[in-house]
Amino acid sequence: MINNKIGIISCSGEECLGGTISRLAVRKMMEELKPGMVSTLCLPLFIAGDGGEREFAEKYPTIAIDGCSKCCAKRAIEKYSNQVAGSVDVAKIIGEAKALEKPLSTRHLTDEHKEFIEQTASKTCQIFDEIAAKQ
Amino acid sequence: MSELRCVLPCNGLDKCAGDLSRRAALELAQSENAALICPVLLNQNRSRYEKVLADANLTVIDGCNTRCASKLAGDLELSINDKVNVSEVAKALEIKLGVDIQESDDNRAVVQAVLAKINSSAADQAESEFIEPEAVEYNSFSHGKFIFKVPQNNYFFNENDCWVTVSGKMARVGVSDYVQQNLSDILYVDPPEIGDEFEQFDDLGSIESSKAVFEIVSPVSGTVVAVNTSLNDAPEQVNESPYEKGWLVEVKLRDFSEDQDLLHDCPAYFEFLQRKVTEIDV
Repeated sequence: MINNKIGIISCSGEECLGGTISRLAVRKMMEELKPGMVSTLCLPLFIAGDGGEREFAEKYPTIAIDGCSKCCAKRAIEKYSNQVAGSVDVAKIIGEAKALEKPLSTRHLTDEHKEFIEQTASKTCQIFDEIAAKQ
Repeated sequence: MSELRCVLPCNGLDKCAGDLSRRAALELAQSENAALICPVLLNQNRSRYEKVLADANLTVIDGCNTRCASKLAGDLELSINDKVNVSEVAKALEIKLGVDIQESDDNRAVVQAVLAKINSSAADQAESEFIEPEAVEYNSFSHGKFIFKVPQNNYFFNENDCWVTVSGKMARVGVSDYVQQNLSDILYVDPPEIGDEFEQFDDLGSIESSKAVFEIVSPVSGTVVAVNTSLNDAPEQVNESPYEKGWLVEVKLRDFSEDQDLLHDCPAYFEFLQRKVTEIDV
């Protein structure tokens, strides 16, 4: 039984398209692929130090989804809480150059972007299932 | 020509409000005069944004009342020119923001209202026509070890020791020399939001010293059009120059002739203050 004890943190996504993809992949996990089974942690709140986000990531396995190789989400978890249980770098899925394009509003997504979101969410699901199998 | 602006949204992901802060920021960033700041990258690598923070006015968009973006800006001692809270904007529109992030008319309305509020604040700030007096002359009196200064003219005071000085339809509000001496070293000024409307004697923010917090009681009614952002970095200006550089809030007056009935002019306040310090034996 999972009981929402796997956390997931997306990069903030303001600098690049990879960030937009990472945010939307996390939303897809929450709403479609693993509804009620993941706890999403708010990265700005995590950094601000409020709301129990850091404590959660210390106690429970948490997956970082980063938009580019700066890996802000992963680095924040490791700085303030614990080692990540798994991480996804969107740039490795869609290519560094693509990941560094400008961020997008959801209204401007193309089919290509939606495919990137699918791939990222799928990779995240795979990591999620591996962690859940060990619990 | 529009001034340069940089936008720091909270970018929260687990609530709709955070996502709307991002959407509003992305819309603003479409303009050539606006740059986007990622809160997480800012926290990790401030130097990346040093130039834009030095050149542009900072607008902060918080999603919820945890105000992560404002806190981050505060922790990094950034000077905030303007800030908007998405949840408060939604509340004013009577729109309930849930957790789900979706394209809905309500969400679009909130984003548009946030943008309108930011643009209107900028316009109000730009239209400020307050003309500073060339020189302020003072009368003073001493009581014990203290010397209290009161301007000779053009200032009006309420009995809470807050002043207003008027320039056309604009005015500046601050606290008297008596207040700053009582508070001693001022550490923090918490101003109202630009665009706030208020009545005479309403609270208009606060100032805090190591000794106490002083609520600013507005001597006039009107709308906040600017706050003295230099006090973010140098709140001691209120101690050093309470009637000039240490002004707190700039307002567009609603009806000064009516407000004036309940205010002291400079000579009357001078006498009032003399009586006050004698009675309470400062």
